Amino acid sequence: MRAADPVEDYLDRLLLTLGGSPRQVRHTLAEVEAHLHDAVAAGIAAGLPEHEAQAAAVARIGPVHAVTGRIAAFSRPSAALIRRTALAGSLVGGVALVAVGVSGAISWLLAIAGGGTFLTAPFPPGSYTRADCARWLAADPAAHSCVRAMTDDHTGEVILGSFAAGILGLAVLAAFWWMRRRWQDRSTLTALPVGSAEAAGVILAGLVTVVTLGTGIDAELVQRGVGAGRPFSLAIAALAAAVYFAIRLRRMVRLRAA
Amino acid sequence: MNSEKLKGNLDLLLLSVLAAGPGHGYSIITRLRERSAGAFDLPEGTVYPALHRLEAAGLLDSTWEVATGRRRRMYRLTLTGQESLADQARQWRSFSGSVARVIGGTA
Repeated sequence: MRAADPVEDYLDRLLLTLGGSPRQVRHTLAEVEAHLHDAVAAGIAAGLPEHEAQAAAVARIGPVHAVTGRIAAFSRPSAALIRRTALAGSLVGGVALVAVGVSGAISWLLAIAGGGTFLTAPFPPGSYTRADCARWLAADPAAHSCVRAMTDDHTGEVILGSFAAGILGLAVLAAFWWMRRRWQDRSTLTALPVGSAEAAGVILAGLVTVVTLGTGIDAELVQRGVGAGRPFSLAIAALAAAVYFAIRLRRMVRLRAA
Repeated sequence: MNSEKLKGNLDLLLLSVLAAGPGHGYSIITRLRERSAGAFDLPEGTVYPALHRLEAAGLLDSTWEVATGRRRRMYRLTLTGQESLADQARQWRSFSGSVARVIGGTA
């Protein structure tokens, strides 16, 4: 593992905070880098060990906002940070939407295997009218009861909605890949810690897995399985997303350590 | 010394240091500390926004030079900067003289 270098860390923080044109950013960064190296050299000449000289140089130059001339908390986020956040958001959001699409396919299979009521619970009596029943039965002449026609209609809507979310997710992931190819500059890639999007993905997908699994088990135990299929299918898809993010995170951590 | 007081007079101090000859950021802050016998010891990074502001105002000019194997931005006073320094120094002497007289009168 590489030892921490206070000067390099300071320059990274400065790069992310500096505003202005690319030329102004480059010039200020070069000035401050030269300043810090001069200060480190002076510290070493005065008898300090290298690491202590680096830490002293960083302490003497002051906080990053001393160089930028503005308080960091009120400064505009750098373009690099905005780009990196867009990349992370599109990756996590895209995978989440695709997972919803996958859960629609699982729901479809569960509806075939367990029937419509396993997937979605029927509306409670009194919450729908005769006209609703007539509409559902007209759309599903093979159904022999209003409840069956209602459940089939609801199941169809859930599956269709999930597939639509999945298609939208593919579009978001395509945007992610396009942006990643376009924004390969180092400042964008280092604007957030390595693997932060993947770590957020693992946490979010893990939480969704736990919550939906709990909802499914509750429906299975309390309502004898009525409506349990949808949370179970979401739990399976969320678990797959969590595993995907975990694999990406592991690969990034390994690359970072190499 | 109170750093806020120092920052209020930083432009005058930087122009004065550079009146003795061109310099880069680190050498300017070092000369400032030495000439004040360590009294003016502010966070070193604060000189950069001030230098950039003075350059934008036309009081300084800068060029990139390679010295001891490293690219450095060297600042020097412009003619406008010399005139501004003379004006600010005159105002400061007048102000500090007045303050000294007041303090001396109450001591």
